Amino acid sequence: MNASPVIAVTGLHRGENPQPGSAVIRSLRRVYPELRIIGLVYDSLESGLFSEDDAPDAAFTMSYPGAGEEAFWERLDAIREIERFDVLIPCLDAEMEPLVDAPEKLRERGIHACLPTTASFKCRDKSNLAELCDRTHCRTPQTLAVSDVNSLHQAALTLGGNVFIKGRYYEAQHAITPAAREAAYWHMLEQWGAPVLVQENVPGEEYNVIGLGDGRGRMLGSCSIRKMLRTASGKGFGGMVVRDPQLDAIAQSLIAELRWNGPFELEFVKSEGPKADYCLIEINPRFPAWCDFPSTLNCNLPAAALELALGWQPREPLRHASPGKFFIRHAIDMTGDIRDLAALTTSGQFFRQPREIIPHQAVSHGL
Amino acid sequence: MKLASLSTRIHPSGQPHDPALCAGSGSFDFHTVTWQADGFGFDATSGEFFTASPAALIVMQALSEDMARQQILDRLTVRFEVARSTAERDLESFLAELLHIGLTQESI
Repeated sequence: MNASPVIAVTGLHRGENPQPGSAVIRSLRRVYPELRIIGLVYDSLESGLFSEDDAPDAAFTMSYPGAGEEAFWERLDAIREIERFDVLIPCLDAEMEPLVDAPEKLRERGIHACLPTTASFKCRDKSNLAELCDRTHCRTPQTLAVSDVNSLHQAALTLGGNVFIKGRYYEAQHAITPAAREAAYWHMLEQWGAPVLVQENVPGEEYNVIGLGDGRGRMLGSCSIRKMLRTASGKGFGGMVVRDPQLDAIAQSLIAELRWNGPFELEFVKSEGPKADYCLIEINPRFPAWCDFPSTLNCNLPAAALELALGWQPREPLRHASPGKFFIRHAIDMTGDIRDLAALTTSGQFFRQPREIIPHQAVSHGL
Repeated sequence: MKLASLSTRIHPSGQPHDPALCAGSGSFDFHTVTWQADGFGFDATSGEFFTASPAALIVMQALSEDMARQQILDRLTVRFEVARSTAERDLESFLAELLHIGLTQESI
């Protein structure tokens, strides 16, 4: 291992559907400002590469998960010939499975990671959520996995017609008509492969819980929010910290049942009515894009995950964020340079150089 | 101060000032909402926030303290220059509306 560990992070695009990598980097640097961090990217236009505040020190293009596991490990080895990173923090659902299924491949390379076991990873899969919820007495919308159009329509009718069509890893589209269902089905199949999931629509407020499991059934820290703003695709664009003992208890029981190791995000809907229960929509096996927000409130989960992966003593217990604190996402424009783009596109690697700053002349005009 | 308008003033922020839109907002609990003096209320359990007129604020705070209708009327008539009969009529109408839109479960 390097004297000071080098960290690799994926998922650096913060576009319309922001990925978590840049938020993870920002959180890590809040605690460890000198940490060397490299980005593993799938596209040379991942916006986090060009950020002033949370860009990695270097970046390398990866082979797409669709290219197969062999290509993935080969590329990882080639990158480590240049930049021998010690810790990997995967931030995209699609790259989790090969890592979770082959922890020995990481171990034999000396790469540390905070990953769940294959068993707990599978238990939280969208198609197995009902069983998990049965065991933990948690409500979840009825979800059916389909692999052809006839089963799609049959499943939708069974669930009352008003459903969400969901991709295996990402995306959900609300569909009421058969035409909308079919269009969403083909889209999800093309993007994320089979099976496609048909989920009962539970209207209500959305609540998310981010946390870190220690692999023995305990949560090392967590933060719960109500989504205040949502994009057209349902992604949270603002969230308010809440503290509801009922929600905390459900989250604790799910993580205890899974003996979850590493970061997670639980997504709930609470339907209307005085006796409404939280309904578990899905469990994401990684940090969400809003993971830096709790870090600003003394609940730095990415830094704690790094410490857990390396077996370091935690710096201090993670605090509960105070209800009433909220985040709002703010999109700004990044300035890139064609040389960086050229380096990534042609050689698959890019080392961050000091930025060329064009100074502005200060003017007063009697202000 | 007339109380008749107070029912149209309470609303979850970020939504139009139409109390009908609050209907079925099962997350609202008078006991978990903290109100500021300016009428801004926040429920730490659900993350919902609200605004209320000065008169509505008095009623909401009273409900969170489980006050009876007569006690609420006492508070209103002490705080505002209003005839008890007017306050009673307006309070009745307000409480009925709270019940109708699901913010209270039973008549106070």
